[in-house]
Amino acid sequence: MSQFRRGWAISCKDIESYYGKPPLITWGLLFPAVLLLSVYVKDPATYLAIAPGIIAMTLLFGNTSMAAIVVTFEKRAGTLQRLLLAPLSIRTIILGKALSASAYGLVSALALSLGLKLALGMPLVNPLIFIAGLMLGAGCFSLLGLTASVMVREVFEAMTLLNFFRFPILFISGVFMPLSQLPTWLQPVALASPLTYVVELLHFGVTGRSEFATPVIPLLAGLLFLLVSWLLAEAMFRRRAYA
Amino acid sequence: MAATPAIVVSGLSKNFGSLKALREVNFSVLRGEIFAYLGPNGAGKSTTIRILAGLLKRDAGEVSICGADVAQNPVLVKERIGVVPDESNLYPELTCRRNLEYLGELYGLRRRVRAGKAAELLSCFDLADRENTPFGALSRGLKRRLTIAAALVHDPEVIFLDEPTSGLDVASARALRELIRTINRQGTTVFLTTHNLYEAEDLSHRVLILIKGRVAAQGTPREIRQRVQGLNLLAVTFSQEIEPTHLLRACPAVLKVSPQNGSWCLEVAEAHAALEQILAFAGKADLRLKEINTVVASLEDAFLSFVEGRSQDSEARP
Repeated sequence: MSQFRRGWAISCKDIESYYGKPPLITWGLLFPAVLLLSVYVKDPATYLAIAPGIIAMTLLFGNTSMAAIVVTFEKRAGTLQRLLLAPLSIRTIILGKALSASAYGLVSALALSLGLKLALGMPLVNPLIFIAGLMLGAGCFSLLGLTASVMVREVFEAMTLLNFFRFPILFISGVFMPLSQLPTWLQPVALASPLTYVVELLHFGVTGRSEFATPVIPLLAGLLFLLVSWLLAEAMFRRRAYA
Repeated sequence: MAATPAIVVSGLSKNFGSLKALREVNFSVLRGEIFAYLGPNGAGKSTTIRILAGLLKRDAGEVSICGADVAQNPVLVKERIGVVPDESNLYPELTCRRNLEYLGELYGLRRRVRAGKAAELLSCFDLADRENTPFGALSRGLKRRLTIAAALVHDPEVIFLDEPTSGLDVASARALRELIRTINRQGTTVFLTTHNLYEAEDLSHRVLILIKGRVAAQGTPREIRQRVQGLNLLAVTFSQEIEPTHLLRACPAVLKVSPQNGSWCLEVAEAHAALEQILAFAGKADLRLKEINTVVASLEDAFLSFVEGRSQDSEARP
């Protein structure tokens, strides 16, 4: 419990120092909002087909980038060493960093969703599944951002490394077109992407429909990816954070 | 001073590939003492501190800090130690008070305790009027002070100070040395690494000299000076300028000549023979000896003697 409290303290401090800054929140909201509005202006009937994908994409880019930037910045400033010198387990440090990044992603995605609901009347058929999708995505993508950040020294290196992962999965995860419309050979590859399950959970939440027959499959797959991301982040922190 | 050890290191070894950074290092630091860990660049000082602070795994040997092994119980050990790295690395965007309170949180202090501790440290380190100033806006000296204060927020039993006065002006460095003495008087064991040998001699109860990953010498500064074998120093002032190479050629017992405040500092193999040769040299060159004194070797002299391999402690002998 004591370690959890310390992890919570890391999160609160990171929100105070980084994530709570107005320019960051605005940046996280403006880009997806403008993208969705431009689709809506072109054809109001089809924006719902890509809204969940754009929200998931916001989570993917926002969370991976911010988690990576914060840790890389702290490595350079020497303040990450403060955490390593304190009586904290590696898990506590990862938890603290991932919680704050996830909170940033969740707040941005929820604000975007609320804006879409108020401005464009976006439905929310199953809010619980929608929230679950956001939480799984925020957690998973934050952990992947943390993993990338301890593997490199500079922010641009972290971004380059992440882009090798982010851009390919953007095209295979049902963000812009349904999984069923992907080429047959690409469909199994889509199942290896965590973004696929986040997008499908958000589709369930918004429209009540998805490429999967039941939300249980993307929920379980999302949980599996969350676990794998955690193990990956932990292994990388143990190997590289002290370097 | 209680004579129980705060730190016990035995057979500590660490390799980085083919580089042997530490080779069977043994030492202990008693509770309540200031222990200076000295060595030239690349000797293995930082590697030792990183291992003791739980930032680096050792290859061999035992390390016990306050009775616990840092590799087995890193969280327990880290609760008992404070570390001041060579770079002041607190959070630049947080105020002085918030930095101390945040670190108190990381050490599990309750809200009221950490608020009280932050106020106490700000006052003790003469930073009370800067409590709301962001760390990044402080001068180098004040940053150093706050970094030391931050290492004390949880009342550690041992504090590691890596180059505490590096880059500070004379007044700030002196004030900081006084603070280190105060911390030590309050019962905290101080493990100090510094390149400033005056500082090491001035502050420390005991000294260890590390060279190429091996312990070259350890003891009190006085013992270290006395262990320097064959190091006799003379300070000589001649009536006129001399050419040091002529002196060296004429006086085989003189090993090294270096200028020192208008006179010459001579390192000699044997004082009596050297004196006779210097007098003969002065007579031949028609010089008067204005002043001649024996010089007590400083810790710096002893350190250089070890670094240059002119002296060896028993521990360093094969």
